[in-house]
Amino acid sequence: MEKLTQEEVLHVADLARIEVEAEKLEKYSVELKQLLNDIDKIKDVEVAEDEILVTPTHHFASMREKDKIRNEDFEMIRKNLPLSVGKFVSVPVVIKND
Amino acid sequence: MTDYLRKPIKEIHELLKKKEIQPIDLVKECFERIEKNAELNAFITLNKEQAIEEAIALEQKEVDNLFFGIPIAIKDNIVTKDLRTTCASKMLENFVPIYDAEVVKNLKEKHMIIIGKTNMDEFAMGSTSRTSYFGAPINPWNRKKIAGGSSGGSASAVASRMIPLALGSDTGGSIRQPSSYTGIVGMKPTYGRVSRYGLVAFASSLDQIGPMTRNVEENAGLLNIIASYDEKDLTSAKKEPEDFTRLIGKSIQGMKIAVPNYFMSDIVSREIQEKIEEMIERLKNNGASISYIDIKHLEQAVTLYQIIGMGEASSNLARFDGIRYGYSEKNCTSVEELYKKSRAVGFGEEVKRRIMVGSYLLSGKNAKIYYDKALKIRKEMQKSFQEALAHYDFIIGPTTTTTAYNLDEEMNDVSKNFMDDVLVIPVNMAGLPALSLPVGFSKEHLPIGLHIIGNAFEEAKIYQLASFLEKELNLDLEGGASHE
Repeated sequence: MEKLTQEEVLHVADLARIEVEAEKLEKYSVELKQLLNDIDKIKDVEVAEDEILVTPTHHFASMREKDKIRNEDFEMIRKNLPLSVGKFVSVPVVIKND
Repeated sequence: MTDYLRKPIKEIHELLKKKEIQPIDLVKECFERIEKNAELNAFITLNKEQAIEEAIALEQKEVDNLFFGIPIAIKDNIVTKDLRTTCASKMLENFVPIYDAEVVKNLKEKHMIIIGKTNMDEFAMGSTSRTSYFGAPINPWNRKKIAGGSSGGSASAVASRMIPLALGSDTGGSIRQPSSYTGIVGMKPTYGRVSRYGLVAFASSLDQIGPMTRNVEENAGLLNIIASYDEKDLTSAKKEPEDFTRLIGKSIQGMKIAVPNYFMSDIVSREIQEKIEEMIERLKNNGASISYIDIKHLEQAVTLYQIIGMGEASSNLARFDGIRYGYSEKNCTSVEELYKKSRAVGFGEEVKRRIMVGSYLLSGKNAKIYYDKALKIRKEMQKSFQEALAHYDFIIGPTTTTTAYNLDEEMNDVSKNFMDDVLVIPVNMAGLPALSLPVGFSKEHLPIGLHIIGNAFEEAKIYQLASFLEKELNLDLEGGASHE
């Protein structure tokens, strides 16, 4: 297969929470397939190891003490909020009553 | 224009101590150099007003350390309180952090002066810095060439001597590869050596902050400052402070060095192979022994990087939702629509591709087929490195397969830029420290880098070997800066 179907691209984009415009579907069909073909090569690799390596730490990770940490001032946080009402973050409708 | 910043930091320090100059002289000179080299596009944001204010305030303080009053540039994916941090993305075009990264806190404690934020690939995803929303930084050695990536702005700024020092970040070679392309010294420390707190996460198990400098000694000195245990980073290593410069100048007699056959295979240009062979001869002539070895799975490094890097990126970048900070699409009628539209417009093409592929790889049964398998191969590769480094002091090879290529080279091949990092990615997989040292030039007079990989937490030894070669070679590394 040289490219993904448009349905497959839309599915992947949905997983990633990214809107894909209709005119870009063809481009992504080819590009994503090219990357997935590269990645597919891993299936042919022989590996004897059964253990996995998630994080390459060479030391014991230490958890910090349970303690209350004071958050930054809301006013500072608010400056980066795209939309706010008073002390609240403003978002579009989450649940629709259809 | 004054010319203090071309001096070694030790000399600048003496001048500061004797009050023959003040930090403000350095800061002013720095901004003059940046203005004269503006076309290199190395910076995204300058911190001029604040830097001048801090420099003046330092006149009342005692010069208490080598880096006091020295200007530094920070890659734009490391957060700086009250100073815009964009990750070279439209998504964060107007984002002003509310806290300092741990490394920035460390620099400020030493009274270093932050001059600005450097250009990079968007969210550090790329190998040329051409995915930057702000346009690509340029290689000062040849202005038609890339500076490399993703820390291309830091590399360009140091190579052109706009600034003596910069910080970069390295997820799959992003400090070492641009350092090699621009003829500077770049170190990726051991995973856990430097706190990642405040580094905008790309692939958390690979990311590491490190120094990019004009020479080895200043690199080690800067690592002295940024390396520290940090309880805010779970993977931060609890290590006693050490002086990374302590072995500089010591003999390399008797050192055992390994060269993986793959690093000298035909994926590397003949010109670079010859330069590395020249270095190998030099090391042998000075009492080091060289063996050619095999490390498992080096051929699969790019595939591992694609799976692990994109998988982690898809998860890390889920936080950019258009709600709490960053680009937010207007007039959306649902949260779902807001997420999707904000991310579609806020992210560039490379970032979107990687998030999409990463989401696919981690979904359902794919996680087992691809991600789990990649983690097993990663473990086997790490063990192979550990076995080699139990017998040898270092593993060396070229940093890159070619020298810096043309800025206008096509970007249509979405696999191509991953291959630019094929020799440097394995180090991130294994969490080892590694440095790129400029060791000469191509026929086109573009820099070539030697890649020196050491055992975990043995950065000081890497600096020992690197400083030996640096002294032997005594190269003129001031690349194409316009100062006058």
